[in-house]
This record gives sequence, structure tokens and C-alpha cells, in this order.
Amino acid sequence: MATSSSSAIANKGFASTDPELAAIDASVRWPVLFSFLTSIHWMVVGTILLVYASSLTHPQETIPGLSLFVNLSEQCSFFTYGRVFPAAVDALVYGWATTVGLGLAVWLLARTCRTTVFAPTTLMTGVIFWNIGIALGLTGIFLGDSSSVELLEFPAYSTWVLWIAYTLFAIPLFGTYLGRKPGGDHLAQSWLLVALLAFPWLFATGTTLLGYRLLSPTLSAAGLPSSSWTGSLPGSGVMQGLLDAWYVHGILTLWLAPLGLGLLYYLVPKLSGLSIRFGSKAQVAFWTWVVLAPWTAVHDMVGGPFPADTVTIGLIFSGLIFIPVAFIGMNLVGTAWAGEEKQGHHGGVVLPFLSLAAVVFVAAGISEEILSIRSANQLLRFTMFRECNIFLWVYGFFSFTAFGGMYYIVPRLLDFGWRSALLIKAHYYASLYGILLVLAMLGFGGVMQGLTLENTDTHVTIVNANDVALSFYIAATMCVGLISIGSGIFALHLGWMVLDWLRIQIRGSRLASEILLEPYEGTVPAKSSEEVSA
Amino acid sequence: MSSTPHFRTFFYLVLASFFFNWLFLVVWPWTNLGHQAPIQDEGSTDITPWAISGAAHAGEEVYAANGCVYCHTQQVRADSSGADIIRGWGTATDLSDDKKQVTRRSYPRDYIWQHEVFLGNSRNGADLSNVAQRFPDAATLYRYLYDPYILNPHSSMPAYRFLFVRQKISGQRSVDALDLAGDDAPPAGYEVVPTAEAKSLVAYLLSLQKGYHLPDEKGPVPATPSNKS
Repeated sequence: MATSSSSAIANKGFASTDPELAAIDASVRWPVLFSFLTSIHWMVVGTILLVYASSLTHPQETIPGLSLFVNLSEQCSFFTYGRVFPAAVDALVYGWATTVGLGLAVWLLARTCRTTVFAPTTLMTGVIFWNIGIALGLTGIFLGDSSSVELLEFPAYSTWVLWIAYTLFAIPLFGTYLGRKPGGDHLAQSWLLVALLAFPWLFATGTTLLGYRLLSPTLSAAGLPSSSWTGSLPGSGVMQGLLDAWYVHGILTLWLAPLGLGLLYYLVPKLSGLSIRFGSKAQVAFWTWVVLAPWTAVHDMVGGPFPADTVTIGLIFSGLIFIPVAFIGMNLVGTAWAGEEKQGHHGGVVLPFLSLAAVVFVAAGISEEILSIRSANQLLRFTMFRECNIFLWVYGFFSFTAFGGMYYIVPRLLDFGWRSALLIKAHYYASLYGILLVLAMLGFGGVMQGLTLENTDTHVTIVNANDVALSFYIAATMCVGLISIGSGIFALHLGWMVLDWLRIQIRGSRLASEILLEPYEGTVPAKSSEEVSA
Repeated sequence: MSSTPHFRTFFYLVLASFFFNWLFLVVWPWTNLGHQAPIQDEGSTDITPWAISGAAHAGEEVYAANGCVYCHTQQVRADSSGADIIRGWGTATDLSDDKKQVTRRSYPRDYIWQHEVFLGNSRNGADLSNVAQRFPDAATLYRYLYDPYILNPHSSMPAYRFLFVRQKISGQRSVDALDLAGDDAPPAGYEVVPTAEAKSLVAYLLSLQKGYHLPDEKGPVPATPSNKS
């Protein structure tokens, strides 16, 4: 058994057998683990809020006891739908996905650079600030400071904290990258770097928009003639809608998607023991994605009060997104499925999550492609299909990647096994069916709702569209309930594991039922991860 | 790895692709949309669209705080891009001649006075571009916010009772007090009155009325109106 030099952890079969990698894992242990634990907490919070928010839209008879919540939402502004729903989405996108994504990025970057992470204490401070920012932002939304700009609801005072937190993250990460060992190059790094560069760019543009909103009443109150400044500041008029569309789709396709893809490009070949299928297309896929993906922003602009030529050009570019989606699908789904076939039993515990994530990535790409078709967009633009699209990215693709990643990473950080195979199985199936059903409900429901909303019969009203949508929303709420059970199981399992680990650290003894996950490195040909970037 | 470009090349390529998208999707539209001014009628001081009152601006904040935008859009698409006009969301009474109706799509110029623009992406509720058109007065709108089921038994809108207070009638009944009947009616001697937040929200909603024509309807208009030069 190899023993790492710096942290001197005795490898009990869970840490990497490569002493170099084991030392790297040990160096990022605390920031990564802390980001995982806090992100799980936000996932639970976000899911509970989401179930609550969506149950508010149902008739009170459908669920026993619901009238209590409805009364609460009517009497108390904290619990009204328009505050709980954005709080839920932000808790999931920033609290859950982004926090866990930062943790995954730290681990993956250190590993692929083959160097211990630069300034881990700064990273730890970054995680703490990030969580403070999220908590402040969510509190602000509940108190009524929400800006109601999609995904930028957090009030300005929390935005500053998030900026500080991100800076604390970015500096050690770029430091780690620049200090990488010779030969420490991997395609996964390109995806990570794109995400890390895109986030400040997106966030800065989003903050500009919010800045305008803060500034304009002041300027107006100062008695400045409006026409002299209205248009001269960025973020006036419909530019707010345009910037927001650009921001939302940027967060999905240039922040969350690259973070997840980076991990998949690293772990899928490692776990399946195969080099990436059609690996020569991986670079093409990367560059076409970076160029084309942000154009999906125009999906929220078709037909609206925006310049028609921008929308037309945007639809052409975003329609080409099938190119990277097809290549990435061939790379990741191809490799993952071949690996499952080769290893039998679905290839262990981690690979099923990752291969599902790869499939959902393709599904999300297809939904983007559908929205790039002008007539389909007109039908689905204002329906629950759009929720389905965002759900695919955040809850579908990214969450599955993160779950798979955590099942792989946490034992290697702690040199300690997961506690129960049954819980992992329960989590997998609850999430699998929950997410598939939600997607089916919201996707099909979106089409039905759109057919009513866009009906050319003048007698059809919004009430008819709501009647059609309602049953799909009720079904979707129940499926989100199923997902939340899965997520709850995962949260409890991780908590149990960490507590047991702490107990062992204190007592210095081993528990009997420790070994559950097979360490994969032994079964994989050496250097397999490096073949990826070829 | 020879296939991974050097960091500097990689960095510049990524920045270039971001910049390309940002330039065409953010900066270029801004040069078109960012400098729009109201249109001044020839030989008069009237402008369209006209400015919004301070109460309505305060209402924008209430609208944002309570997340109305998560169910209501404020954009009417052209006939060729959706059924918004057929739903009646693009129709308003002409502000200059109340016997005429204006039916049209939304243009960027419609939004120039708003500090906070709520275009919206979801239609669980009706479009609100011309919501003032559908409510005859503030009292009806207060009642609708207090209990949507009174006016629309099929509504899926939540009630916003926290925007109102129940208070004891001291002396004369308040002019703003809601006319409520049935379950909603307060006990004798009490009345339900809108808070300041409800008043500004309603002022904002009643400002949402696009009963005027814009030169944009005839085709693109130069960003700087000719009457300025």
C-alpha cells in the first residue's frame, strides 16, 4: 500500500494507489469537503423550497394540509410564491450547483495539474464567504429585496460578498494551474478554465445591469432630465431583458456545463478503463461549444421587443449547437456505455451516475436545439418547457455529474468508504425516475400548454391554458418530491459517512463495515486519463 | 500534450470567442436600443410614450419584491410570432381618442421610462402589457389582489392579503376601504385598506397601458429622433 508523503495517511484502500495523487487529494481535502457539505445543505434547502413553491400553485383540495401553507403565503409576504420560487432556484443554482462545482473544480484542477493546490486556506475562506453570500442573498429575497431579474435576484449587498468569495477561489485555482507539473495537461482543464473565466465575465455584466437599477431612481430623484441619461447607461429599458437572457444562458452553458463536462472528461475514461471514444473530436467539440453555446440566449428573445436581426443571427448560431452536442455525446456516452458493458453490473457505483449525466447532457442539448427552431420557440417560449430546459441543466446534467463525482471523490479524500450500498442504490433510482418523470411532465406539459396559449381561436383564454398546465404541474411536484427523497438520502448518507469518519479519527480504531466501494485505480490501465486529450 | 495549446494561446482564443458573442449579443444591440428617446409630437409638447409617475416607479419595486414576473410577462409579440394579439393582450384604448383602439406588438421604445423592466419568461398568468385596460379602476384591482377568486373563480393567482391591513373604523370609513362580501368581509366595525405598498403597486399596474402609436410600427426609426437635431 502506498503512503502519501505529506499528509501521511495510511491508505486503507480508498485513497488513490498513486502516492502522488493521494498527496494531492489530501492537500485539497478540507476546502473540497467543506464545499460538498455546504452544497448538500443548500440542495436540501432548495428542494424543500421548490416543493413548497410549486405546491402553492395547486388547488387546495389536491393535497391534505395544503390550505395551511396557502394561508401562510397569503398572510405573510415571506412565503408568497414570488419570493419562495426564486429563492428555491437560486439556492439550487448558486447554493447547490455552483458550490459543489467549485469544490469539484478544485479537486479536478489539482489532480490534472499533478500538483498540490496553491493556498488551500484561501480556498477555504472562499467557500465560507461564498456560503455567507448565498445566505445573505436568500434572506434578502425573503425580505423583499429581490430584483426579480432571473438568476440575479440576489440583492446588491450579497453580490459583493459573492465577488469576494469568487476572487478568493479564482486566485488559488489559477495559481495551481500555472504551477502545473510538466505533462500535467488534460482536456478537462480546458473546460474548467473556460468556466472559471466565463463566470466573472458573466457576473460583471449582470452586476452592471443591477447597478443601473440601483442608480436610476437616484439619478431620477436628483432631477436629472431623463432623456439625457436614460439611454446612455448600460442596462436601460429592454437591455435589461437582453442582458438577463445572456446571463441566464451563460450561467447554464458556460459555467455549469463546462464544470460538469470537465469532470466527465476526466472520470468517464478513468472509470470505464477506456480511452475516450472518438477522442479526436474532443477538441472540436470544446471549441464549437465555447463559440456557439452562449448564443442560446436568444431563445428568450424571439418575438420580443428586441432587434430582429440580432435574434435571427442568434438563432442560426444556437441552431448549430447540435455539432458540439453530438461530438460530446459520442465522446462521453460512447465511452461510458462501452465501459459499463465491459465491466458488467453497470460498471460499479459511480459510472451509472456519470453515464446518466452524459445522456442528460445530450437531452439538454436537444432541448436547446428545439428552442432554436423559430416556430417551436414561439410555441414553447412562455410555457413550462423553459423550466424543463433549465431543470435539465441544473437538476439533470449537473446534479448527476456532481453526485457521481462526490461518490468517487469523498472516499479518496478521507480514505474512508461509503456506509451503505443500499442507500446509494436508493439515491440512484429515486433521482433517476424523479428526474426522468419531471422532464417528461414538463416537456410534454410545455407542448400542451403552448398549444393552448398559442391557439388561434379567440375564445381560448389564459384560464384554459392554466387548466391544461395544472395537471402537469401537480405531477411534476410529486416527481420533485421523489427527487428530494433521493437527495435527502444522499445528504444523510454523506453526513453518516463523515460522522463515522470523525469518530474513527477520534477513537483511532476502524469500524467493521467499512469497505463498500471498490477502488477503481487498480482496474484501470495506467495513464488512461492522459489518453483523453489525445 | 501537443494537442492542448499553450495557456496564452488558449486564453486569447477563449477571450476572443467570449468577446465575439458579447459584442454581437450585448454591445451591438445596446448601440441600437440604448439611446432611445420619446417621440415628440409636431407642434406640441406631448411626448409618447409619456413618463411614469413617482408612485408607479415605487410600484416597480413592489412588483420586483413579490416576484410577479415569475408568472406574468410584459411583452406582446407580433402576430407573426405568436397568438398574443389574438389573446387580446396587445389591445388598448387610444389615449388621444378614447373611441379608438390601438392593437399592436411591443417595441423597445415602450419601456424607456421604466427603471426596472419585467419582460418575463413565463405565462402562468396573463400578459400585463396592457393590464390597466382590463381593470376599470383602482378599487377593482385592489379587490383582485386581495382575493383573485372574486372576479375570476378559475384564477391560479395567489392572494396578496399581506398588502392590506384590517383596521377598526374610527369615525368615517376610509375612502380606500375595499368593498368585500361573503367570507372576505371583515367583521362589523372593521375595514380592509391597502397599505402604501399596495397603493404603489396598483399605481404601477394602472400605468401599464400602451394606447398610443409609435413610429417604430412603420419600420426602424433612427436611434436619435430627427426633432432633436
